[in-house]
Amino acid sequence: MRFMVKADKNSEAGIMPGTELLTAMGKFNEEMVKAGVMLAGEGLHPTSKGARIKYSGKERTVTNGPFNATGDLVSGFWLIQTKSREEAIEWMKRAPFDAGSEIEIRQVFDAEDFGEALTPELREQEGRLRSRAAKK
Amino acid sequence: MRFMMLMIPRGYETAAPGTMPPAEAVAAMMKYNEALKEAGVLITLDGLHPPSMGTRVSFEGGKPVVTDGPFTESKEVLGGYWMIDVKSKDEAIAWAKRCPASSNEIIEIRQVQEMSDFPPDVQKAAAGFAELQRGPAAR
Repeated sequence: MRFMVKADKNSEAGIMPGTELLTAMGKFNEEMVKAGVMLAGEGLHPTSKGARIKYSGKERTVTNGPFNATGDLVSGFWLIQTKSREEAIEWMKRAPFDAGSEIEIRQVFDAEDFGEALTPELREQEGRLRSRAAKK
Repeated sequence: MRFMMLMIPRGYETAAPGTMPPAEAVAAMMKYNEALKEAGVLITLDGLHPPSMGTRVSFEGGKPVVTDGPFTESKEVLGGYWMIDVKSKDEAIAWAKRCPASSNEIIEIRQVQEMSDFPPDVQKAAAGFAELQRGPAAR
C-alpha cells in the first residue's frame, strides 16, 4: 500500500529549516530508505510564491498566494510504501518533528481500487503514462 | 523548475470511506494526464483516498499523537497531486487552467524546493538527499 504523508509545518514565513532539523530529517529519511519504505520526499516553497486556480465551467480564475487556510496548507510530503496503515503511522511517529507540527497520512489510489470504472483501456493508458513519466 | 499541482476538492473533507470518483471524471482526467505526458512535463501523479480513511500524527508537546480521520475542523483537504517540470510558474498555471476540474475543485500550484534554493550550510546538512531520492526510484 502506498501512502502520501503531508507535512503541515508552519513554514509560511519562508524561514528555511536549520541545520539541526535537516540533519535529523536526513537521518530519518535514510532509515526509511534503508527499510525500503521511502519512494519520494519533497519540500515546497511557501504559498506566498504559489497560485490557485478555481474552475467554473470553462472559466478559470487565478489567485496568487499567500493563502490563509493555515491549518490546511501543505509544506512538504513523503510518498512511502508499507504493508499497512499502522506501519505507515509507526514510521511517521518517528519523524523528528516538534510541537506545532502535524502530518497527515493518506492512502494512494491504486488501479485496483477503481474496480470496473477503470476500463481495460483506461488501465492500459494509466500504465503507459506512469512508465513514461518514471523514465524522465 | 518542479511544481506540485495540489488538487483540493471541496466536500472531500466529509467524503465517506471508499468514495470513488465517477468514471466519466476519471476518463476526462486521463485525457488531461495524457496531454501532460505527451508534452514531457509530467513527473508523477497520484490520487488519494478520502481523509475519512486517513490518520494524522501531531507533535504537540514533542510527543506523537495519533488521530484517525475524518478531520472535522478541516476546510480544505487534498484529493491528489501532479508533479510537473516546467520552465516557469506561468507555464505551470497555464497547465493547471487546462485541467478538466469541476467548480468545487481548486488547484494550488507550489514550487518544489531544490537543493540550490538552500544556503551553503543547509546544503551541507542535507548532503545525500538526492541519493536518498534516487535510491528508491531505481527500485
